[in-house]
Amino acid sequence: MTTEAHADRLVWPDDAEAAERPRRRWLPFSPWHLVLFPLALIMLLPLVWMIVTSLQTQAESLRFPPVLVPGSLQLDNYPNALRSAPFGRWFLNTFIVTTVVVVSNLLLCSLAGYAFARIRFFGREATFILLLATLMVPFQVVMIPTFLIVKKLGLFDSLPALIAPNLVNAFGIFMLRQFFRTLPVELEEAARIDGASRLGVLFKIVLPLSLPALATLAVIQFMWTWNDFLWPLIAVFSQRNFTLQLGLTVFQGSHDVFWPLIMAGNVMSMIPMLLVFFAAQRYFVRGIATTGLKG
Amino acid sequence: MAEVRFDRVTKLFDSSVAAVDDLSLTVADGEFLILVGPSGCGKTTALRMVAGLEKVTSGRIAIDGRIINDVSPRDRDIAMVFQNYALYPHMTVLRNLAFGLRQRKVQAGEIDRRVREVSEMLGLDDLLGRRPAQLSGGQRQRVAMGRALVREPRAFLLDEPLSNLDAKLRVQMRAELKRLHQHLGVTTIYVTHDQVEAMTLGDRIAVLSGGKLQQLGPPQEVYDHPANVFVAGFIGSPPMNLLRATAVSGTITAGDLQLDIPGVADGEVVVGIRPEALRPAGDGLPSVPFTIDVVEPLGDEIVVHGSVAGRPAGGELEEQIPLSGSQPARATITARFDPQLRPKVGEQVPLRISPDAVHVFDPATGEALR
Amino acid sequence: MGRLRRALASDHLAGWAFVGPAVLLIGVFGILPIVWGLVLSFQKSDLIDPNTPFVGLTNYRALANDHVLRIAAGHTLVYTGVFVPVSVIGALFIAVALNRKIHLIRFYRTAVFVPVVASTIATSIMFLWLFDAQYGLANWLLGKIGVGPFGFFDSPRGALYAIIAMTVWGWVGFDVIIYLAALQGIPRDLVEAAEIDGANRWSIFRSITVPLLGPATLLLVVWSSINALQLFDEVYFVTHGGPPPYNTAVVVWWLFSLAFRFGAAGYAAAIAYVLFLAILVLTMIQFRLGNRVVHYSS
Repeated sequence: MTTEAHADRLVWPDDAEAAERPRRRWLPFSPWHLVLFPLALIMLLPLVWMIVTSLQTQAESLRFPPVLVPGSLQLDNYPNALRSAPFGRWFLNTFIVTTVVVVSNLLLCSLAGYAFARIRFFGREATFILLLATLMVPFQVVMIPTFLIVKKLGLFDSLPALIAPNLVNAFGIFMLRQFFRTLPVELEEAARIDGASRLGVLFKIVLPLSLPALATLAVIQFMWTWNDFLWPLIAVFSQRNFTLQLGLTVFQGSHDVFWPLIMAGNVMSMIPMLLVFFAAQRYFVRGIATTGLKG
Repeated sequence: MAEVRFDRVTKLFDSSVAAVDDLSLTVADGEFLILVGPSGCGKTTALRMVAGLEKVTSGRIAIDGRIINDVSPRDRDIAMVFQNYALYPHMTVLRNLAFGLRQRKVQAGEIDRRVREVSEMLGLDDLLGRRPAQLSGGQRQRVAMGRALVREPRAFLLDEPLSNLDAKLRVQMRAELKRLHQHLGVTTIYVTHDQVEAMTLGDRIAVLSGGKLQQLGPPQEVYDHPANVFVAGFIGSPPMNLLRATAVSGTITAGDLQLDIPGVADGEVVVGIRPEALRPAGDGLPSVPFTIDVVEPLGDEIVVHGSVAGRPAGGELEEQIPLSGSQPARATITARFDPQLRPKVGEQVPLRISPDAVHVFDPATGEALR
Repeated sequence: MGRLRRALASDHLAGWAFVGPAVLLIGVFGILPIVWGLVLSFQKSDLIDPNTPFVGLTNYRALANDHVLRIAAGHTLVYTGVFVPVSVIGALFIAVALNRKIHLIRFYRTAVFVPVVASTIATSIMFLWLFDAQYGLANWLLGKIGVGPFGFFDSPRGALYAIIAMTVWGWVGFDVIIYLAALQGIPRDLVEAAEIDGANRWSIFRSITVPLLGPATLLLVVWSSINALQLFDEVYFVTHGGPPPYNTAVVVWWLFSLAFRFGAAGYAAAIAYVLFLAILVLTMIQFRLGNRVVHYSS
């Protein structure tokens, strides 16, 4: 079983232990629940506490010992948060940037990944290694010059500044190339004999067969872009160009002790990401597992 | 040394599929018992239940008189050789061999002694420092055997240990295994789908199909007196020829063949004849015209496939081909000829049969009538 | 022959047409900055003045005398030294626990993984509140077991603990997935063979599972170290990039401040390159040591 095939089968990994073994039972359920349940609670605690706080009144939040169950559900916090800061604008910015980046990556990484996987052209190996090498360099090394480049291009403090450096991610090229290579080349050869152009083969044959890999790339790129903080911090200056992460930082700073309000803003900013997560959970898992197996 | 007993053992998966169905048999102390049958017949499941890797749904398994249904594998004092060997890839051969003994806190000196003894016995001395990845298939197989031997268990369980070896090695290892068993005399249960292995290695063989025990007995007896149509078709290569026939007052008619076989009730029967019982020579015996189709020279004999008039019967009752009725039916027959004769394709040869070599089966139950 | 050459030529053309946009973009936003960064490290720059004179090795020499950098490096190393073992070992045990088919297992796995999806800022906000000195839930829970209360973000040590807690929380799910995938790769009959050989659960874990997870562990240690050394977001958030208390400084935070706050971009570039070098060296050491200990089973 190749590692690639193995990762493909990895949805949420399903058990390796034999189903039934001779053993004695003291509890009506597996003892592992005693470990896993508290663990799950600890992992969910910050999120749950965030939601609980977002439903408290200001007075309730500033109490010690903390109020565990709010007296009433202060749903007002949410519209109030939206009013106290240009969240709508920030949502829009983040949404635009993320969508453009994801679509651009899907397109450009597919093209490049396919070429590296299937087309023999002059300088292919060297170029690929060069691209891969850029992944080795930490962001801090490139962030200052990238800032200068963006400034030179006149893009500073605008949404294009957030989009441009992220239009194509070398990681995506690497990932798709690996995936394309696992597809049977005969299908593409048959299509070419049938008269399809290279582009046609890519879009009509290869990509339709690559939907899982594309979904994985989309979902991971979405997460990276939506959650990105450092680059927006550098590239953007005016509040109206902020992404959600920047906006939240400023919001928290300016609304120091208004925790319920802050938490409401936080919850709202997380919702799109959580929705994508729950809809595409297995693509996240798969993406990470494949990276690990290639490792 | 131990006796292993299956007492009405059943294993259900998902509460409907019976992998093993009401199996009862006893492996005598020191006996080499083979569990043989086609894929999915339950032989591996039965073996794994003895090992404790599968839970028994109903019935009991006892080793040395002690019921071990609820005993965990590590406490059963048995050793197993897996089909894929299951050698620890990150340990050297030496550590692989010593692992089980270390787990049981055996004295270092004793571990040393046993490992050296087994290593010498199996020719592993030069390989002790290597890792499994650096060994050939045959070498790995020997290490897997060594790991089991070193434990000096009460019973050996072997799960198709030779099936991953190439043909030549397989024949070699078969002899090795037999020699080892003769030397050590440990109770052994051996699972295989290869009936040649079963015949050559076992003291007794247990033929299984669909989870049920079809027949238990010494190899020659199972060969000579199959208890039912399945065993008849499974044991023996090339397989026994099976034909539909009709019995009327002690005479059985199958196509052109007519045999006097007293003591069989009137009605439809299935007739079984082994290929070696069909000879072109022998006067005075009943014969049938045989049209030759395919000739397979094997050196010491020639296997000939051809057809006679008659209706074929499947090896398993469930797979019987429904009769067409419109054309005169012909059944494919396999026979063995001496290499001196030069059978030619298309030739028609009379085949003589001795009535003593004919097996008769009930078409409904498959049971042997004679 | 001409047809062949044409066919080949079209392949070259097609190839470059396909990778062209990507190569151009990565060239401008990937390779160019890498080179420019190096150049910058030999210059004096405040990011505004177009005049950036060459100053040779001055920036690199200044590294030795920068006491803030020393403090920041110390914090970064302490953080890495705690974060990596805690998150990797924790993930190992959690993955083993999650590697079974019992009721609610999907819920447990999801619960462990969801934190990975939360952004560093969202996480920082949650934990800032959780660890609030006066009203935080953490202090309340700690009080229940007779400890604290702590002013987590009032002291350098406390802040470091809090940041360790929030980053472990946010990353362990990622490690767990890698470990789960690796655990799935361990053939079942190895475990069965070990059981028959007489090993109990703990023995199997120690002698079979852990060694066979060697490659995954090495990967995670390297990956976590690289990420830990680049810690920034949480630290920035806690101090809001404001004037130092240098007490929660880490290297990348200092680097950022120097470039975008104090107009010392050339010097910051030098620090960035040294950091890059340090990461490379550490990674190489880890792989060297790791390969000696790890036995690849294939």
